[in-house]
Amino acid sequence: MAEERMVRMSLAEKLGYRKGDLKNFVKYIADDPKQACKDFIYGKEHERRNLGDLYIQPTGLYRHREWRGLKDTFYYFNCIWCYNYGMMVADILSAENPLSFFKGIWRYRWLGQTYIPVLHWYDRGMEGARGPALRASAWHYRGLTHSTIEQFMRMFARDLRFTKGEPNELWKKTVLHNETVSGSIFYPFRDGGLIDIPLEMIPYFVTCHVNSNTVLHYIDAIQSLGLPSDPCPMCQAEAGVGIMDDYPDSAPCIITTNEACDASVATSIIQDWFLNRPLYAMPQPMQYDDPLVQERCQKEIEGAWKFVEEQTGVPFSWESFKKYAELQNEQLEFEHEKWDVAAHTNYYPINGVAQALYRIYYSQYGWNETWQLLDNRVRKIMENCVTNQIDTFPKTRHRVIAWSCAPLYYSNWCTWAYNCWGLNTIINMDSLMFDKFIRTDSYEHALEDLSWYNEMAPMRSMAVGGYEHIFKLWDYMEKFNCDMVMMYDQLQCKGMQGIKGMFEDEFRDRNIHAIWFPHALPDKRTVSRAEIRDCISNYMIDVMHEEPLDPSLLDFDDSMTW
Amino acid sequence: MKLIFKIIRIFAIVYAALFAVFYFDLDGKLLYYVYEPLMCKHYDNIEGRRNIIDIPYEMKNDIYD
Repeated sequence: MAEERMVRMSLAEKLGYRKGDLKNFVKYIADDPKQACKDFIYGKEHERRNLGDLYIQPTGLYRHREWRGLKDTFYYFNCIWCYNYGMMVADILSAENPLSFFKGIWRYRWLGQTYIPVLHWYDRGMEGARGPALRASAWHYRGLTHSTIEQFMRMFARDLRFTKGEPNELWKKTVLHNETVSGSIFYPFRDGGLIDIPLEMIPYFVTCHVNSNTVLHYIDAIQSLGLPSDPCPMCQAEAGVGIMDDYPDSAPCIITTNEACDASVATSIIQDWFLNRPLYAMPQPMQYDDPLVQERCQKEIEGAWKFVEEQTGVPFSWESFKKYAELQNEQLEFEHEKWDVAAHTNYYPINGVAQALYRIYYSQYGWNETWQLLDNRVRKIMENCVTNQIDTFPKTRHRVIAWSCAPLYYSNWCTWAYNCWGLNTIINMDSLMFDKFIRTDSYEHALEDLSWYNEMAPMRSMAVGGYEHIFKLWDYMEKFNCDMVMMYDQLQCKGMQGIKGMFEDEFRDRNIHAIWFPHALPDKRTVSRAEIRDCISNYMIDVMHEEPLDPSLLDFDDSMTW
Repeated sequence: MKLIFKIIRIFAIVYAALFAVFYFDLDGKLLYYVYEPLMCKHYDNIEGRRNIIDIPYEMKNDIYD
């Protein structure tokens, strides 16, 4: 349907021209020049914005970007749009081998198709945002962009495809690892020059958020070999990237893990197949509360350290571990400060999608200087909001906690939900993982805490880690003063499917408003964004009997958007 | 002085042009309608990829313990 619609569209329509637009604009100024002038300077009020009218359906492109008032429009233009395009170039130029970017973009679909339209990802995440919420959220996005470029440039500088099969010195001191093996595992080797690269984080995970079309190719690739479509699509896509030979060959060895389910184990087997090099499997238990498994988990980590030493020649350094673990603890302390502001005030300046992506990304990737720099900027904005009591999301009707695994192709649903319904996502499940300080007073304590930290990886802890963890929802609802739950229903996650009935019973018993919305993690074809919006809107209309803040956002077609 | 005005004028023109690109989402439109389809066509036709399923997958003898 959407494809047919695209074919029928004229060039003018594709570019966003609509008959009568100019006439309506002149009429709007002529009818009330004073109001038009006010709108120009301060931007329209939330209820008069009609953000849905800005879209060129079904592409998700904008007829024009939103006018947010003079100050915020020029902030967005200068400090987000221009700044980030410029910094993307600067990030590439400051990498180990800048020219490898061109080789990478020519060779790898996940790079070329995804990372060029990255500013549109900013647009989607920050639609309607004003003032400190716009500024703080954009800094989080900047951190994600910088670290992503850093990672793929590291991959390309080492990629044997670009060095005629000859391993360079960088390649020899690099370890690949599954994206859910925490970067903190490699702290003991950082000062020795070791680089760890999460294998799937950039070719798979980040692409889904930036351009949801890229991953479909990889899912189709693995299914074309006969894989049924019901396993977790994340594992399917990660295997698909391997089958398409689209992982850069950038390290002499790899550490895998079971991520969070048996489908991931199968992915590791495929990775072992196509990489065909020394592999250390570092499985983590699902029922990790059992004290009997702790010693084994610690031994797994020590085994990984021994493996890294043997494969790369970089020695284990306690001092290096201690240094980075302490920096990581400092970052977690700031995260707690942020949570405190989010939980107890209306002055928290980070929107739901920026909070979620930033937190899951940095805690998974491990500490680096970028996070520290950006946290300092965000801290200033947040402190200013608290000091001056700035209500950062003034149209909040409900404080929402989002639970379970989020739809990667529509991580910005919370931006839409706030703009359309005043549903302000205060916190989400993924942000609450890795909530563990690592003691550095002794090797034994550090190892024990690191083991716990790694066991709290995404999905494992609060999706398949046993109902005690999954049901921590009630504690967090209270802690963050939330009155509504957005319950993700990942259709292909067997772990969460198994507990759905218990959740429904609890919601009823506790008289909690919970909106279930289905999705298929990275695959937008299974459940479209429009269907997700319908689930939320139907609940808000039929159960809550509320009126939308911006009715233009109720029904629009963005099926072919990035 | 003339040079300074000239530089300011060039800067103003470039700034206005960039703002037009930004405001009318011309970067997005170029990438969506032109760049992405061309690149996808290119990726679909890349030759010389390894066919992974042709590589034998054998049990390793030296499994790390």
